Amino acid sequence: MSAFLSVAGLRHFYQGRKVLDVESLEVMEGEILAVVGPNGSGKSTLLRIINLLERPSSGDISFWDGSRLSSMGRGERRGLSRQMAMIFQEPLLFKRSVRANVEYGLKARGVKKEERRRMADEMLVRMDLSRFADRAAATLSGGEAQKTALARAMVLRPRLLLLDEPLVSLDAPSRKDMLAYISGLVREMGVTALYVSHDYHEVLEIADRLAVLIDGRLLQTGTPGEVFAKPAADVVAEFLGAENLLEGKVAESREGVARLEVAGVEMEALCELPPGSRVKVLIHPEEVALLPGEMEAGSVRNRLRAQVTEVRAQGALVKVGLDCGFPLVAYITRDSREEMGIDAGAVITAAVKATAIHVMPFST
Amino acid sequence: MGDIWNGLVQALKLIVRLDPYVMKITLFTLYVCAIATAAGMLMGIPLGAALAVYRFRGRKLLVTLVNAGMGLPPVVVGLFVYMFLKRRGPLGFLGWLYTPRAIILAEIVLAMPLIAGITMAALQNVDPKLRMQARSLGASEAGSVLTLLRESRLSLLAAVIAGFGGIISEVGAAMMVGGNLLVNGEPYTRTLTTATVLEVSKGNSEQAIALGIILLGMTLLLVWVMTLIQQGTLLSHPARVARHLFSRRRGGAAA
Repeated sequence: MSAFLSVAGLRHFYQGRKVLDVESLEVMEGEILAVVGPNGSGKSTLLRIINLLERPSSGDISFWDGSRLSSMGRGERRGLSRQMAMIFQEPLLFKRSVRANVEYGLKARGVKKEERRRMADEMLVRMDLSRFADRAAATLSGGEAQKTALARAMVLRPRLLLLDEPLVSLDAPSRKDMLAYISGLVREMGVTALYVSHDYHEVLEIADRLAVLIDGRLLQTGTPGEVFAKPAADVVAEFLGAENLLEGKVAESREGVARLEVAGVEMEALCELPPGSRVKVLIHPEEVALLPGEMEAGSVRNRLRAQVTEVRAQGALVKVGLDCGFPLVAYITRDSREEMGIDAGAVITAAVKATAIHVMPFST
Repeated sequence: MGDIWNGLVQALKLIVRLDPYVMKITLFTLYVCAIATAAGMLMGIPLGAALAVYRFRGRKLLVTLVNAGMGLPPVVVGLFVYMFLKRRGPLGFLGWLYTPRAIILAEIVLAMPLIAGITMAALQNVDPKLRMQARSLGASEAGSVLTLLRESRLSLLAAVIAGFGGIISEVGAAMMVGGNLLVNGEPYTRTLTTATVLEVSKGNSEQAIALGIILLGMTLLLVWVMTLIQQGTLLSHPARVARHLFSRRRGGAAA
């Protein structure tokens, strides 16, 4: 399947400062691609450029209809921009009735009055907003206002929906509500969506793929599972809130299996980097198995003598802080904690499979 | 006090009698102000909008000129227009001096910066993202600016009220370039303000007060109507305005 939208060599400068440097990004038809990254990483700029609101300093974008940003006439630009709709952080409603807001884009497209009204009312019903149709948009609550903004965009039946942190200004219940409407409508209408957020938690449920953008650079794209299991760089792992991110060195490497030294402890992991490389090591806490009883140091690969430093209940799970020569975090159930009698000070064994250790090149 | 009372009585008499001299001056004043305000809007609103929305070379200079123009003394404007329109002036060939056109021109120069300045300030108060939102919903460049203007329609009406109020009340420029003339005994370039000045200088204070009261009443009436429009009651709820007036009158009758 060829890409619905593809970005190539896109660079953008603000007052001489490079804010965006995306070598390549492909969006597939019908998917929800979440662009995540810390604030100020260039996500909104990327959206504005794709929405043709801003011209990049260099680079090209090819769109679904075969047109390219670099060779686009004015009329083509207009036609293409009308196949997209964008939602911003704030609802940005106009000082008119809710219905008139929803009709805005249709009016700009020259849709006849009765048709416009019919389409707007239909969308308002779909969004459970019809009771507000004649109300002034300024009197809506934050959640209702953002839903109106979504209705105003979706009534245009865009091919590409661009969402720039659409939940930021909402409270928790409205967020959940809004997210359900977004994913519902997008799936129902088969729209392709680019969803920008600084908070990856909010998009995990609805995103087909993540694109991690940090400091203007696209560091990784992949399904949420892929990105979480194997972050492409330590900064990605940090952004995703990874625990157990450790520094180490490749001591020996043979056929894709390496012996690592992490704070003086030897571990075995899958890794292609040559011996001597400094690396960052990610051990997923849910992959750390705790075994009762003390282990003799170094007797079996990746079985570590661990002293419990901290035990903290977190909902259904218990977070266990360990000292294995380096700090390590594991999550276990309440039951297994009681069975094994894990308390601060206890000495037990932590086991990590070689495949559960993710090794990244050292970048910072 | 006696003068004011007599002036009031006189004013009522002149109005009720539809005194032709007063009517003519009043209508002429309205005519001049309406045209000058309309022309000031046609130029001032787009200028103010452009200054608020776009960044271009010379913008700072224009903004300074507009802001300075908002405080121009009418006498100085009159003097400049006079210098341009006098027979040997650069626009002397038009032969506009001491005609209604000269007054209209001077009043436009006074009203336009007021309207442009308030329009600019109003649009700068609208979230710039709103224009981006309009564009991303498919509005054309011009359409997005029109949307911004519509968003700040209250302030735009304030701009028009300011422009209109500024010129209906000024006397210096109208006097200098219009001349307060009668032609064949009929008012030709005589406005309510210039006529009032004349009556005062003739020691005819009752007549002057009558003219002043007509001017004041007319200004209040027009500003009141514009305020109703601005507050959205006249256009969107004419029935409510009517009911409001009616019920108040009825309340008065009951008391």
